[in-house]
Amino acid sequence: MISTLLSLFLKLSAFSVVAFGGINAILPALYDLSVNQEHWINSQTFGDYFAIAQAAPGPNLMTVTLIGWNVGGVLGAAVATLAIAWPSSIMIYFLQRTILNMQDKKKQLIIQYAAGALAVGLVLAAAWGIAVQINHSLAAHLLTIGTIAVTFFTRWHPLYLIIIGGVLGVLGFI
Amino acid sequence: MLGICQIVPGPNIVNLAVCVGSRFAGVAGAFAAVLGLTLGPVALVILLGVLYEHYSYMPIVQGLLRGISAVGVGLIASTGFKMMRTELKYPPMLAVIILTVLAASYFHLGLGWVVLLTSPLAFLLAWKRVKG
Repeated sequence: MISTLLSLFLKLSAFSVVAFGGINAILPALYDLSVNQEHWINSQTFGDYFAIAQAAPGPNLMTVTLIGWNVGGVLGAAVATLAIAWPSSIMIYFLQRTILNMQDKKKQLIIQYAAGALAVGLVLAAAWGIAVQINHSLAAHLLTIGTIAVTFFTRWHPLYLIIIGGVLGVLGFI
Repeated sequence: MLGICQIVPGPNIVNLAVCVGSRFAGVAGAFAAVLGLTLGPVALVILLGVLYEHYSYMPIVQGLLRGISAVGVGLIASTGFKMMRTELKYPPMLAVIILTVLAASYFHLGLGWVVLLTSPLAFLLAWKRVKG
C-alpha cells in the first residue's frame, strides 16, 4: 500500500512540471499510467471519473483526486491531489515575480508565446487522445464534435452542454 | 497574471491561487488560497466517488456518465481551439502545435519527451516573432 502511494505520488509529481496547459493536457498520460501501466482502474472507470470531475463544481484536477481515492481511499485522494499540485505551485510561486518584474518585456513575451504554443498543442493532443479512449460509439464522437461546434457559435455556459450530454446518455443515445 | 498562470505547467486554478494568495500574505497566503479552493471540491468529489461505487452498475448512471464524458472531451478541445487564437496571429507557430499533436497522439511519446522535443522550436519561433 505504501509503495503504491509512493509510486502514485512520484509519478503525479513528475506530471505536474510538464503539464503545460493544465490538467487537461496530461489526461492521456494519466490514462496511460493508471489504466495501461499500473492497472489501478480500467478504461470504463477512467471515463466515468473524468465525467464526474467534469460535472462536479471545482477545478478539473478532480480526475486525479478520484484516481487517488480509488488507489488508497481518502489518504490516496489527498496524496494524488497534493502530488499533482506541489511542484508546479512552487515553480509558479518563484516564477511569477521573476516573469512579471522582467525589465525586458521582450523576454516576457517570448516565454509567453512559447509556453502558450506548447499548451495549445498538448491540450489538443489530449482531447484527441482521450476522445479515442473514452468515446465508444459514433454517437459519442458526434456529441463531442457537436459540443465543439456549440462552443464556437454560441455563448452557452458549459454546464448546459454537460446537462444535455447527461440527458442524451440517460436516454440511451450515446 | 491570469495569462501566466494558464500557460505555466500545473493545474491552472491552483497556480492562480498561489499567485493571488502569495500577493496578499506570502507563503501562508498561497497555502490558504490553495486549500480554500480545493478542500471543498475534493470532499465533494470523494462523496461522488462513493456514490459511483454504489450505483455504477445501473445502466442509467453508465449512460449519464458516457454522455457527460463525450461533452467533457469536446469542452477540452474547444478550450484548445480558443487558446489557439494567439497562435493564429503568427502562423509559423502552428508548426509547434502540429508537432506537439503528432508527437503525442501519433508517435505516442511520453509527456516529458514531447515537451523536450517541441520546446526548442517553440522558443525559437517565439523569439523570431518578438524580434520581427
